Amino acid sequence: MKLLKIGISGVRGIIGESMTPRLALDFAAAFGSFAGGRAVLLGRDTRISSPMLRAACLAALTSTGCDVVDLGVCPTPILQYLVRSQNKRRRAGGGISITAGHNDIAWNALAFVGPEGTSLNAFQGQEVLDIYHLGKFRKASADRIGKVGDGADRTGLYFEALARFVGAGDIRPARLKAVIDAVNGAAAPYLARFAEALGFQLIPVNDEPNGFFPHDPEPRPRNAQQVVAVLKAVGAEAGFLLNSDASRVSVVAENAEALSEEYTFPLLADDFLRRRRGPVVANLSTSRMIEDVARSRNCPLVRTKVGQSHAVQALLQEEAVLAGEGSGGVAVPAFQPAFDAFLTMGMLLSVLARTGKRLSRLVEALPRYHIVKEKIHCPPARIHSVVNEVKRHFRRHELDTSDGVRVEDKSGWVQVRTSGTEPMIRVIAEDRSPEKARERADEAIRFIAPLAR
Amino acid sequence: MKKASSLKIGISGVRGILGDSLTPQLAAALAQAFGAYLGGGPVVVGRDARASGEMIGQAVLAGLLSVGCQPVEIGIAPIPSFLFYVKDARAGGGISVTASHNPKEWNGLKFAGREGLYLSPPQTEEFLDLYHQGEFPLVPADRLKAVKTESRALEPHLRKILGAVEAGRIRERKFKVVIDCNNGAGAVLAPRLLEALGCEAVRLNADPSGEFAHDPEPLPENIGGLCRAVAEHAADVGFVQDADADRLAVVDETGRPIGEELTLAVAARYVLGRKPGPIVCNLSSSRAMDDIARSAGVPCLRSKIGEVNVVEKLLAAEPRAVIGGEGNGGVIYPEVHPCRDSFTAMALILEAMAAAGRTISELARDIPPYVMIKDRIPGSAEQAHRLVHLLKKRYEGKAKTNILDGLKVDFPDHWIHIRPSNTEPVIRILAEARAEEAARRAIEALKAEIADLQRKR
Repeated sequence: MKLLKIGISGVRGIIGESMTPRLALDFAAAFGSFAGGRAVLLGRDTRISSPMLRAACLAALTSTGCDVVDLGVCPTPILQYLVRSQNKRRRAGGGISITAGHNDIAWNALAFVGPEGTSLNAFQGQEVLDIYHLGKFRKASADRIGKVGDGADRTGLYFEALARFVGAGDIRPARLKAVIDAVNGAAAPYLARFAEALGFQLIPVNDEPNGFFPHDPEPRPRNAQQVVAVLKAVGAEAGFLLNSDASRVSVVAENAEALSEEYTFPLLADDFLRRRRGPVVANLSTSRMIEDVARSRNCPLVRTKVGQSHAVQALLQEEAVLAGEGSGGVAVPAFQPAFDAFLTMGMLLSVLARTGKRLSRLVEALPRYHIVKEKIHCPPARIHSVVNEVKRHFRRHELDTSDGVRVEDKSGWVQVRTSGTEPMIRVIAEDRSPEKARERADEAIRFIAPLAR
Repeated sequence: MKKASSLKIGISGVRGILGDSLTPQLAAALAQAFGAYLGGGPVVVGRDARASGEMIGQAVLAGLLSVGCQPVEIGIAPIPSFLFYVKDARAGGGISVTASHNPKEWNGLKFAGREGLYLSPPQTEEFLDLYHQGEFPLVPADRLKAVKTESRALEPHLRKILGAVEAGRIRERKFKVVIDCNNGAGAVLAPRLLEALGCEAVRLNADPSGEFAHDPEPLPENIGGLCRAVAEHAADVGFVQDADADRLAVVDETGRPIGEELTLAVAARYVLGRKPGPIVCNLSSSRAMDDIARSAGVPCLRSKIGEVNVVEKLLAAEPRAVIGGEGNGGVIYPEVHPCRDSFTAMALILEAMAAAGRTISELARDIPPYVMIKDRIPGSAEQAHRLVHLLKKRYEGKAKTNILDGLKVDFPDHWIHIRPSNTEPVIRILAEARAEEAARRAIEALKAEIADLQRKR
């Protein structure tokens, strides 16, 4: 079984199986054709397979006549920011970020960034797919082949803008200490610059950009042991865990409690919405905490399908002030409409500095929910029919079917949906009581497990 | 007539036109097949100076990585330096991104085995079989290698040449040399070699940008600039390299091209004077080569057309061949490496001048004079094959015939050669005699015979 995910936001597969140079060449050529010969920014995470895909992207993009600005190892949010700021001068046709985010080392992906610096919208994504399927790529003649330029020095612009936006002037006097685990991913070479720009004391963990992930590159409590241990030893005010391309982050409080990744978004929102009102976007799998926070600040909440692309499109459509998801991704459009772990960390540090409160206090102020996340492997061909069966199973309830099936009542909810990145069915349940949350998930799993076998 | 295909996949590698037949997808798939053929290990990746080389080169890197090879990227490298490095670095093989003397809208790939030699025809066949099967043994992420970048890959070749000639003797003469690299790959090494040989090097078109300053074929009509520069600078000699620096043409101190056939002849005559042994050239090379061999008392062996064939003959020669090459300015000096090498050719010619204390025009006059005429008629390989068969019957008994590659007929005072082109749908016809007039007559006689045969069919 070859695992391959082709979607509007990009293409993801397993190296040596589905993710081949040919696939990368054809998709990059399709994207170069879509970009119409305008410059494309290229960044990559630190995976061992990323240089191979970089070579394929360089060849394919330049063959379509696009110049390429090669940012080297570069977190996706920095790439997105630079595409957007270049596009203001009408110079960028988009970007490609070579990263499989939170997937393990066997995977890699090309994530497409549109000219606006966001993941592609449905129309743009469909156009790239159409060009790919048609197989008719722009072909530049010998004297029109694109040139490759080194863009590594541009990343400084990002940190300057970030420091202005979050207010380094507030953070610096608080002399905060933060432990950051870059999981040896794309953020690793940038941690020192980040700390310098914002003015806090950095204690880095796993900051070798060598692509060997010391633990799953997924920001969540079970991967937080190292940060917890270091934080205890040095007595830091905050700990952060990143995914491999620094789009998502989870938090460890100063009392060494590794917080669920669900807390990242509401922690930031609770402060931000106090200062800036407006619609908030969250996906259907995100904890109810954000509903309570938004309600208490009189801000409407819009729920979307899972995936950065959906969240960002809703954010732009609703002119929202904030979007985020329970996996630890937060976008603040006043800075840029993209999930950005540096921005998220910066804004949380700013909360600590401005309020003088500890993270554990901020967490206490949030409503307590318990969330259970499970996944069930399922042959890709059967996934959709299984999810449909689940709809029938819950037919007596009021259902939200905009992303799989979601059943909600006063005290909690359960959602069953297909994974956007792997051949799996995800079951997420939340309740005020941990037992009830577990029960909601178990009921769904008991029904699904025999069907998915 | 049907439009000729712009893609050539054959024994001398792959060539195509950018924006048309030569795509990164094709280059990556060929690299995957080649990596699979080698079974992994280090593979040297070099390129000529064409601007499109970086694009195709990246596709090659992706292809090699995907099948578990370790690419060793050496950047712009002349073909002989590339081949030498493959052997010197003990790599499993190498891919050079080059289209040799084709115009700049072309590019292509050449494949070398572990000995630093182009793949032989049977090896090429095996490798292309893998390519055509289209299934490559991809490796998982944890077995991928990283690209290694080698910035000093030209050094072993340079050192080897300096050790193979009497560098001290050349240095003493402080020659003034005009070198025209035609902005090709030779530019990265030629000036350094000449300086290491104590020459004052006047550089022409020495920017390895691939923006060829003139037609990359080093024929007299393309090198007027070099001829004038030699005269203007009162230089001792002028050299011009082809785009990937395997072939060399020479201009004498008066600013006249000595003729591309004479590059090999001058070098061979000098080498035989120091160290006798068989010499090797192809069937279309000048008869001057036979004369030179005869006066040195050594055999002159003839191979089919094509560098791989000359090299094969040269390596098989017993006793060992001392020099070989082709009449198109390709000198093969096995003491350095058995491949065409314009750098070694320059060093040998400078050494010949230094050792004899004579000018290059005098050395050229030592070579028995012949005039060769190269012509072509339209026709497929199949038509050429039939013509060869019929012509052989006509000439048999009247002169010595040879059907190793097309038909070559040796008369006492001249020869003719007819063969299909390896690269175009034409039939090449050549004749050589002592004088222009006689060569012209021989070509016309051959054409008349062909016309006669075609009428009768």
